[in-house]
Amino acid sequence: MAPIKDESHWRRLVEGCFRREAGTPVSIPNLGQDLIETGVLDSMGWVSFLRAVESASGMNDLGALLTNRVPSLENIFQAFKEAQAENSSLQAASNTRHAVIGASIILASSCAAVGSRRIPSEEIDRAFGMPEGKLRLRAGIETLAYAAEDENELTLGARAAQQSLQAAACGARELDWIIATSETHRAYPPLSAQLHSQLLVRETCGALDVGGACLGLLNGLAVAQGLIASGQARTIAVITSDVHSRIFQPGRVAGEFGGLFGDGASAFLLRAKNGSTSEQTYALGEFLFGCAGQYAGAIRVSDASNGNLDVHFDGEALSRAAITRMEKVILDVELRSGIARSSVQGLATHQPNPRLVTLLAKQLDLAPDKFPSVARTFGNLGSSTCGVALDAILKSARRNLAAECGPIFLASLGPGLLFGGGWLITI
Amino acid sequence: MTRLLITEITRRGPAFCVIGLQREKDRIRSVRPVTATANSWLHFPYQRGDVLQCDLAPFSGAKPHIEDRVSTAGFEKESSVLEPEVVTYLRQAETAGSVPEFFGCALHENKSGSGLFAKLPEAKRSICGTVTQNLRLELCGNELRATVALSSGEVLRDLPVVDRDWRDFIEAAMAIRRGANRLARLQRFLNSQFHYKVLSCPHHFIRLGLTRPYQDLCWLMLDTLIPLPKQDWLEEF
Repeated sequence: MAPIKDESHWRRLVEGCFRREAGTPVSIPNLGQDLIETGVLDSMGWVSFLRAVESASGMNDLGALLTNRVPSLENIFQAFKEAQAENSSLQAASNTRHAVIGASIILASSCAAVGSRRIPSEEIDRAFGMPEGKLRLRAGIETLAYAAEDENELTLGARAAQQSLQAAACGARELDWIIATSETHRAYPPLSAQLHSQLLVRETCGALDVGGACLGLLNGLAVAQGLIASGQARTIAVITSDVHSRIFQPGRVAGEFGGLFGDGASAFLLRAKNGSTSEQTYALGEFLFGCAGQYAGAIRVSDASNGNLDVHFDGEALSRAAITRMEKVILDVELRSGIARSSVQGLATHQPNPRLVTLLAKQLDLAPDKFPSVARTFGNLGSSTCGVALDAILKSARRNLAAECGPIFLASLGPGLLFGGGWLITI
Repeated sequence: MTRLLITEITRRGPAFCVIGLQREKDRIRSVRPVTATANSWLHFPYQRGDVLQCDLAPFSGAKPHIEDRVSTAGFEKESSVLEPEVVTYLRQAETAGSVPEFFGCALHENKSGSGLFAKLPEAKRSICGTVTQNLRLELCGNELRATVALSSGEVLRDLPVVDRDWRDFIEAAMAIRRGANRLARLQRFLNSQFHYKVLSCPHHFIRLGLTRPYQDLCWLMLDTLIPLPKQDWLEEF
């Protein structure tokens, strides 16, 4: 169950979902109207509408609660009220937690580091034996960031983390946790432990690796949010780092897949907010997550017995899934947060390739420049794409000192098809 | 005359849709008898497993409902086969293990809410059988929905359950005469005994179907869930 919101929030959310299902021109029915009996929705549409409300509100048992009741808006609102009354103590706790989360977990600083070699995409086309210009024309990738010989997940991640600590004037010993994520680091000690040593943090600073591939940053931020909100930590570094160029090599994977990826890292310093500050800063909002298993077959990567990578990549299905699901996540974030997507400072999303970002912007009726150009110049950076995009939006917001900065939406995907979204607000 | 082994009886609204298996040389294929004026039957007094004699027009229906054949006379029951044998035949008819193979096309996600659909020009057939790794039934706002995990690892959510026997069973479970807390009791059954009874059944099998096109979209449904429910299961909850 989502945190308690006022009635007008629920009303806006329900009406938004209804319009998505029934179409914008359809007027909102009377509260007590039987939506199926009066032909406003058929049974498929009714369930679809309920699922949309569940997804946007976080009230996952709404459909079950409405069994044996007339399918009406009134009964939806009634179910909200009853669920909240039944869980009043839980809700009170949730509300308190929400207040802590909403107001006091700030993004103190951020930094991105990409591989120092910049390779024209035509060179990658040739290396993978593809027609020259394929990556540029088909995917929109102009250059890729590749790690130099002396760069790897650790060095890139550590560089981003160091700079992030410096930007916030935060000593390494202040860190309570390092949360790391990478879709390419497949060795032990884990990346978080290596970063722990590299950054010379306290021995009692926790080190945790979270998965999710391209969704890794959002998973990491949600874990950090939980740790700070529960009072177990005050300062956490969330670090992403991915070096694809050593794994997705010509001969090991097809160029249509391997050629899309670059190398990069990002780091974010999260802190419990102390008192008030005159400076405008970003705080974490809420997150929503899930897994759309119908797309599980679109991408699968596993180790083959001959040491190669066994990659199953249905580009067309994956593109379709990515666009559909990302759009859905962003619309849910919009409904749950009550923040119009047109008002955001920017969207830090996964960027499978630049063409899909353009398409997503079009689908959402947003200007393409709301999405920082990451994949176009660096390639798909895995878990770091979202991080590098978020860092770019935060930096542009910091430069924009005179103006009020808008909220930021987050949305990403991972194989599975894992999905997640969230938002940052200024305080 | 055509001999048809009845494998699907589905219900949405007041009418029934029927599919049977027809042997054609060494091949078994699905055939959907329809009337000359409608795709469904208001009265169909037969059961799954019945072998019926009927006269069917030889031409196929429009894509993706290529299984349609117009029934030119009534049905006459010839014999019947048991449920495990029905599944043996279903496994020899149209089957697939993953989403793109079911109907020879991609299935698309409903952006506004739940459900999956095929686009009219893309779907090549309207019925397909498969095995599942897991299956869950639930009531969502009075509607029966299934979530299915396929052996490919893919998951299909919120499939409308149109299987007549399962719908009848759920309605019987919710009948007023069954006393108090019917919904809670049914939900407990669906979350516990149902799982055991269905998934441990050695001939567990499902068939997925596509609705008739509506605005050029054909929605995915769970047409058949075998084993069919037994009346005495109602006594267990």
